[in-house]
Parts: sequence; C-alpha cells; structure tokens
Amino acid sequence: MTSDWKPAFLIAGLLAAASQPATADDLFGSGKLLATPGVIQAEGAGGAGLAAWATISGYGTDREIGANAHYTLVALDDFTFQSAGVTVGLFDRVELSFAKQWFDTGSAGGRLGLGDGFNFNQDVVGAKVRLFGDAVYDQDTWMPQVAAGIMYKKADKGDIVRYVGAKDDDGVDFYVAATKILLNESLVLSAGARLTEANHFGLVGFGGPNGDHSLQFEGSAVYLVDEGWLIGADYRTKPDNLAFAEEGNAWAAYGVWMPNKHISVTLGYADLGPIALQGRQNGLYLSLQTGF
Amino acid sequence: MKKFLLPVIAFLIAALPAHADDSLYQALGEKAGIQAIVQRTADLAFVDPRTAEQFKNSKKDRLVGLVTDQICELAGGPCTYKGLNMKKAHIKLGITQHEFNAFAECLTQAMNEAGVPYRSQNKLLAILAPMARDTIER
Repeated sequence: MTSDWKPAFLIAGLLAAASQPATADDLFGSGKLLATPGVIQAEGAGGAGLAAWATISGYGTDREIGANAHYTLVALDDFTFQSAGVTVGLFDRVELSFAKQWFDTGSAGGRLGLGDGFNFNQDVVGAKVRLFGDAVYDQDTWMPQVAAGIMYKKADKGDIVRYVGAKDDDGVDFYVAATKILLNESLVLSAGARLTEANHFGLVGFGGPNGDHSLQFEGSAVYLVDEGWLIGADYRTKPDNLAFAEEGNAWAAYGVWMPNKHISVTLGYADLGPIALQGRQNGLYLSLQTGF
Repeated sequence: MKKFLLPVIAFLIAALPAHADDSLYQALGEKAGIQAIVQRTADLAFVDPRTAEQFKNSKKDRLVGLVTDQICELAGGPCTYKGLNMKKAHIKLGITQHEFNAFAECLTQAMNEAGVPYRSQNKLLAILAPMARDTIER
C-alpha cells in the first residue's frame, strides 16, 4: 500500500518544487539564457522548424531539468500536419521526447481512394545525448556543440503504408547534429546528418521499392534579431523510397517570438516538397510551446 | 601536432578583430558608460535571489572598479585589468551555471537600461561567455 503512494508523493513534490520561485538551487530553475536551447522541431526534438539541433531542449542547466510541451500545425495546400508532445531535458546532457503526429489528407484522401479526411498518424519517441562542446560558453573556439540522437517512429496505418509500398510501419532514425551559437555575429548555425528510411518523416511508413536507410542532411541558420526575437530557415533532405509518388526535400522559414523562458511562438512558411501525387505542398507553419 | 597548432592558435588569438578596433568600447559608452553599466549590474546582482549569496562577502565598490577595467580592456578600450585571473578570483566559490547566467542576465538588463544595442550586447557576452570555464565549478 505504501509503495503505491510513493509516485503520488514524488509527483506532488515535483509540482511543489516547480511552483517555487526560481533560486540557484532549484532543480527547475530555468537557468539557461533566453533562446539558447532553441525551440522544438517538427518531430519533438530540441531544434527549430524542421531540423534537430545539438542543443538539449528546455532551460535546465547542468544541474537542472527542463521540459516543454508543444503543438505544431503545418497547413499545406492539400494536407494538414499536426504534432503535439512533450520534451524533457535532463542536466543539459540528455533529452527525451514523445510526439504524436496527425497527417490529415482532407479531400486529397478521397482523390487517392483513401476516403475524405483519412489520417496518417504516428508516434515519435526520441532520445538525444550531448557528446561534447558547449554552444553558449565556447565562444572563443570554432568547436560546436555536438549531440547524437535517435528517434523511434511508429506509423498507425500499417496496412495502408505497406499497400503503397513501404516495407515497414515502424523505423528508427539516427542523427548527429552540430550546433554553434555565434554570439559575436548574433547567429545560430546548425547542421546534422540523419540516417533514415522514413517516408514523409515516417507518416507513410519506412523504406520501399527504391531503398531503405540513407544518409540525409538537415540544417538551420537563425539570426538573433533582438531579445526574444529570432528569424531563421531550415533545409532538410528526405529519402525517396516509394515508387508510386516522388518525395522531395523540405525547407521552412520562420520568425520566433519568445517573450520569456516559458513561452515561444514560431510562425512561418514551410515547403515539404511533393506529397502523394498532389504536387509541392506549401503552407503556414505554426508552433506553440510552453515550458521551463 | 601541438608544435604546429600552438603558433597557429597564438596567431589567431593575436589577429582577433576585437583587439583591433574599439567599436564595442564605443557602443558601451566608453569608460563612463561601462562604469554605469557595471554599477547597475552589481546593484542588481547583489540583491538578486539567484546571485546575492555569492556576493555577500564582496566589496561592491572594489568589484565594480575591477570589472569596469576588465570590460573596458576586453572591449578594446584604454584600460588595464589589475585583478586576479578568473580562475583564482572564483576559486572554491562553487559558482553554478545558473548563477553565472543569472549574472549575465543582470548585465543584460543593465545594458538594456543603458540603451546598448542588442548586437553590441551579444558581442560583449561573446567575450565574457568563455569565462564560464574558469568561473563555474564543475
């Protein structure tokens, strides 16, 4: 009986600690400098827009824990992508994330014979570890912060994704990212390599007649406009594994407003390339984030 | 490898543009501007709940004088810092990243109040950030 109560006490304790005013000894003290952890990217990892960065999400320093919840909407010409999830940063070393994603085919679903409003969904479980370098403090060297990450993705429509040619309804992405904050230039640069077999980020399954795992690029350039204001752009290459329709590369451009360490709004434009014979898919990118 | 790298690194450090011009020194308002910013930073940090404990045995006037000279010199101004090196000055204080960053936030607030442009603020933070290595206790 007593052991059943322990988690409840632990959670109550964590909540009480989180609601205390920030002090240096606080586990949830949000000690990182504003904007330096980036935001949450499309799959729930710390980064921006479409690209995962080497930064550990949240405002926790090496002695603190940070966490963020996100909601992201990409309203494309024929499709709507949504993502919601939670990302936790542990001691500026390890990042764990979970995101649920919905890809609504709208009327294109009818044209594709899936039915109007057919949804491709997936879950993404991510982990990232900072290997070396410090994006903020290493201002006097060219050494970036480098991290390695993994994302396990599970698509929910196994029969359909296999019917269109995907080999699997689940898969694993491996990535390495290098991120440098150039304070002297008010710039953030990030580049990453990702070994992936995900079709359209995994929403349309993994692998296919044209291949499976391949090495892809993702990167960001962000300019720090003013305190709490950023503008940036990402580029991400994608595999082209399916035979029935060509998949292309994606990019996004956006502005970020973060009035404090607990809220950010990313608003921009995304081009996810051609999807399912419906032509290039562009549209609004909106991401709301809250945490500490 | 080291024999080759050291002169190259020494050359790169010597060639850093921060030493070649005083634009940051000007943007901070020269010595008087820096003095006012450092004074305001100290006023904030000495009472900030995140940093007050670390300053409870510090003499504020002496600290302001030293840090003013240090920032003045690093920003390209005609000053010489005469204090201890960063490692010796912060030894055994047990300063955390959180406290180091909180001090940077006090400095940022002081620069905002003094009207220092954001890009110049970042240039100063770029010079100060590597001091984390000698200041923060691991």
